[in-house]
Amino acid sequence: MTVNVLILCAAGMLVSALLMVGQKALFTAIRLYGAQSLLLAIVAATIAISEGRHELLVTAALTVTLKAILIPWFLMRTVDRIGIHREIEPFLNVPASLLICLGLTVLGYRVSTGFQEGARGVSHHLIGVALSILLIGLFLMVTRRKAITQILALLTVENAVFLVAVGVTTGMPLIVELGISFDVILAVLILGILVHRIVDRFESMDVSRLSNLKG
Amino acid sequence: MIQDTLLAFGAAVLQAGGMLAVAPLLKTAIKKMKARLQNRKGPPLLQGYYDLAKLLRKERVRSETASWIYVAGPRVYFAAAVAATTLVPVLYAGAPLEAAGGILLLVGTLALGRFALATAALDTGSPFGGMGASRDMTIAALAEPALMLGLFASALAAGSLSLGVMVRGLLQQGLAFHPSDLLAFAGLFIIVITETGRIPVDNPATHLELTMIHEAMVLEYAGPDLALVEWASALKELLYLTLLVDLFLPAGMATSVAPVALLVALLAWAGKIFVLAIFVTVAESTNAKLRLFRVPELVSVSLGLAFLALAIRFL
Repeated sequence: MTVNVLILCAAGMLVSALLMVGQKALFTAIRLYGAQSLLLAIVAATIAISEGRHELLVTAALTVTLKAILIPWFLMRTVDRIGIHREIEPFLNVPASLLICLGLTVLGYRVSTGFQEGARGVSHHLIGVALSILLIGLFLMVTRRKAITQILALLTVENAVFLVAVGVTTGMPLIVELGISFDVILAVLILGILVHRIVDRFESMDVSRLSNLKG
Repeated sequence: MIQDTLLAFGAAVLQAGGMLAVAPLLKTAIKKMKARLQNRKGPPLLQGYYDLAKLLRKERVRSETASWIYVAGPRVYFAAAVAATTLVPVLYAGAPLEAAGGILLLVGTLALGRFALATAALDTGSPFGGMGASRDMTIAALAEPALMLGLFASALAAGSLSLGVMVRGLLQQGLAFHPSDLLAFAGLFIIVITETGRIPVDNPATHLELTMIHEAMVLEYAGPDLALVEWASALKELLYLTLLVDLFLPAGMATSVAPVALLVALLAWAGKIFVLAIFVTVAESTNAKLRLFRVPELVSVSLGLAFLALAIRFL
């Protein structure tokens, strides 16, 4: 049962990452990120209950409040205020990015077999999915122009790292987790302000325009 | 030997008849749930049957320029849909005509129906028919490989192309998921939305020329011909949902023909189809219709997911 929940949640995270690649509406991407974080919280909670590691319940609660509710709400508010709802022109079109992401996923999965724990069982899938999401996140960061999508990509990468930390290792000390969570929320706040500044200056979220600043 | 064959045909007739009887109900139920989400009352649950009865009573109206292809179209479409239902396990963990073929035959039969309808739409030479047919084929050319890949992902796990073997294998291993299951499910769900002409792809409730796909193809039909098309479309929708149930959560299916087991299987099947119908309704109510040129992007996502489901099985 535990194994099934873990595998389904991990696979769900991968699906949400791929769907994020496959569409351009910013609101949908933010909702997908929220769903992904929720699945991550379920992974943490399941491990907490099945292995009796109760400190992970705190992690799960933190993940839900911060990453599934607070950050999506803040990002949606930002998008709403600046009134730009779509990723109009990514550097690569959707089918091409999907193809590349397929390759990245296969690569992530293949590499995961190289880890000692990654060759078998649940951790094979957890590491495989996490590596794939990590690669997809990095890919999204370099191919999308809108600052919001890039923030989402960064957060996706963070989710992937968290998945490995929670699912495969014996876990981090609570104080480290708290530190990371506050780091993430601060990063999002600062990036949100930065997005406002970029939009103020260029009347667009297109970060490629930043190169106009060069003298 | 002959007895077995007769038994199989009997079961096939029963199953096809049963599915045909339920199909309009599913369609109306989705309509009703959608209406409820929009704070409307929606049609009565039996509306699908009333509509079919009304259409079947009307006289035939056919264009003077129409040839036999126009007449054959709805009939082949209907026959293909009915034939396809006999290839899928519904209550009992084995399809009635399992010996005839597996998923390849299923996809082929459905493709035959689509081909017949598209050619019939072209036959009268009306611009709408041609437009609908070309749109439908454009999407089908992408959706069909995705459907095949998704089905292959499950076939690979079972080691057989036969749906009956796949379902029995799944029942035997119990609840044990692989990440590829969810990927294939997500891919196939998008395909189901595409193939049944639901909202992100096509709008079943509109006759607006800019957006319609399926409705444009059947615009020329009236009376009993239209009834056949509508009925077959409803049947196809039920068939696709049943296929999803078979491949990803067959728990509760009867492994013997004992009446109790079949009754349990019927309740389990109805419950699972209802849950999937809720998914479809929510997907249809929360999404806006995509521009036609963006539809291939959506279908390519499902193609990607299905491909990945297949690839991950090997890693």
